[in-house]
Amino acid sequence: MLEKSTKLHKKFWDIFAQQDRHKINEFQSYMDKFAVNFNLYKDGNFIEQSLPFDVIPRIISKKEFSKIEKGLIQRVTALNLFLEDLYTDAKIVKDGIIPKEFIESASGFLKEFVGFSPSKKVRTHINGIDLVKDSSDDEWVILEDNLRVPSGASYPLSIRDTYRKIFPDFFENLKIEPIKNYPKIITDAMEYVNTGGINVVLTPGRFNSAYYEHSYLAQEIGAQLVRAHELVVIDKKVYFKNYNGKKIQVGAIYKRLDDEFLDPKFFNPDSLIGVPGLVEAYLAGNVALMNAIGNGVSDDKGIYYFVPKMIEYYLNEKPILKNAPTYLPYFKEDMDYVMDNMEKLVIKDVAEAGGYGVLFGHSLTAIQIKDLKATIKAEPRRFIAQELIEFYDEKCFLDRKLQDRKADFRAYVVMGKDVKVWNCGLTRYALQEGNYLVNSSQGGGFKDTWVMEL
Amino acid sequence: MEQLLTANVASSMYWLGRYLQRMEGTLYEINKAYDLIIDVDRKAGTLLYKKFDIDIKYVSAMDFLHKAIRGKHAANFGNLMLQARENAIISRAYIDSVAFGEIIALNELFQSMQTKRSHIDYNDLDKALSLIMIIWGAHAHRGHRKSSDYFFKLGKLVEEVDLRLRLGKEKSMTDLILKEINVAIKMLNPELDIFDNCPQEYIDELPYAMMECIYATIDKLIIEE
Repeated sequence: MLEKSTKLHKKFWDIFAQQDRHKINEFQSYMDKFAVNFNLYKDGNFIEQSLPFDVIPRIISKKEFSKIEKGLIQRVTALNLFLEDLYTDAKIVKDGIIPKEFIESASGFLKEFVGFSPSKKVRTHINGIDLVKDSSDDEWVILEDNLRVPSGASYPLSIRDTYRKIFPDFFENLKIEPIKNYPKIITDAMEYVNTGGINVVLTPGRFNSAYYEHSYLAQEIGAQLVRAHELVVIDKKVYFKNYNGKKIQVGAIYKRLDDEFLDPKFFNPDSLIGVPGLVEAYLAGNVALMNAIGNGVSDDKGIYYFVPKMIEYYLNEKPILKNAPTYLPYFKEDMDYVMDNMEKLVIKDVAEAGGYGVLFGHSLTAIQIKDLKATIKAEPRRFIAQELIEFYDEKCFLDRKLQDRKADFRAYVVMGKDVKVWNCGLTRYALQEGNYLVNSSQGGGFKDTWVMEL
Repeated sequence: MEQLLTANVASSMYWLGRYLQRMEGTLYEINKAYDLIIDVDRKAGTLLYKKFDIDIKYVSAMDFLHKAIRGKHAANFGNLMLQARENAIISRAYIDSVAFGEIIALNELFQSMQTKRSHIDYNDLDKALSLIMIIWGAHAHRGHRKSSDYFFKLGKLVEEVDLRLRLGKEKSMTDLILKEINVAIKMLNPELDIFDNCPQEYIDELPYAMMECIYATIDKLIIEE
């Protein structure tokens, strides 16, 4: 189902109708040339592929975006307070808002870091919050919080740059919010938490799925792109190894790898992409890590359930943006509901991401439902269930014709001295009609997002 | 000019310069040999590739082009280009964006020539040379101000000398390029000099062994731990 067309959409289509359709091919080849790639490992093989993209932008009115912005600032502020509290006093647990065992059973909760507070008490530096617009009431709904290593911001930057080159008419004639400030927002956040030294982006390397993005962002934010062995820890301080043998101290690391691979001396000893001794330097307060170690607990889909409660608890405010109606089989009442209504629910594995571990009740066979019920009963903490949200489709120009595809929206929220929401985001669409999974790792494509006013 | 750079990026910029120059230099030589093979010297292609330590067999000028570009040998352009592209991806943040785009386009061109069905003619070679020209031009437009640019330039110059020494080209021009190499190296590390500790007969006569002096200096320039 498509969102109701507004005057903003009409303005777009009026200009689009005047465009030479050959320019769409030009658009495609320009994007290919600049290699907006997403790498995949499939059946043990490394596949380098262009990320599918669409030329029709998603349009969000400035007024509507302003409400999203307020809601996201509120949410990320609360999540940062939650993480800081959880790893220090854990008042939210002591006050009975979140059950203790629920926290302790979250795989992303790292009890070794209890008692440590990072630079300037900022933990949620760069956040990707996934939303959809519910067609039943026209409200935006939060589907997921990504507070570890959210990716994708470079794609809208690249497509916008291409758009401006190939189709300048839109930007000359419409009031579209500029987006080039994203690298500056990141740099400001890095500088704010920097403990003294240069900024670097730590990448697992050339064969990571988001290497394109790591390289692009490092360039844009003026930081060095490094692999683990290009950093060294000496006396609990992190140094960048320059080509001429000089060592330069590092003050902030935008890490693009999961905690468990970050330091083989502390986490997974087999990690070849981590920096030995990095955690020690971090705990000594000699380097800032973006995002903080231990944020994985808030990406747990079970913890997501409690975010509205966190907002009320820490900020004494009502949540501006709502969660999808969610049930925790961990609680008996919710377990009963899930067992009785599984056919209409979406079941998610709390520790999975990227569209993995998501099952749609309506597409399961009776035997699969029975098996799933048994699995949930055996491991109730491992799953959440959500009402299926009929979110809006977006118009996409695929196979030379306009087609409707389900689309979500990942907003980027950056926390430094203040919390800032980027005036853009990653609109992801499903490649197949009717498919609800839009993630890049599930074959989804992306398109630009224009925040516009009349 | 002081610029922070990992050894990996420094090395990638250097090798990007080398691979691009290797392709450019070889394409010019292929063009010359192609013309000779038509009606002057049927063995011109064989003689050229012998200097690259490659045994190449062909039945016509056109067949020579095919074998040179996509034959199964160390100078296969599809493979050379993949190496260049890989180095460009690693050092992307330091390359002019237009130059990067043209490297991707050049890769597409050479990969498309690798399929048996594709027909290769001098137009393709001209097109490839034009793209390489654009890459040099786009990058030079930045001005050689940063260390990364000097590594790129260094790679280009080293490859030029390599080809000239292999082909036994005129010494005075090679001498000039060697001096340019030294200037680039001194910009990156004033204490290094390719002629230090280099046997005098290498400097006087410029045998291919001169490359050893260059490589020894570059090993001191990029410190890989």
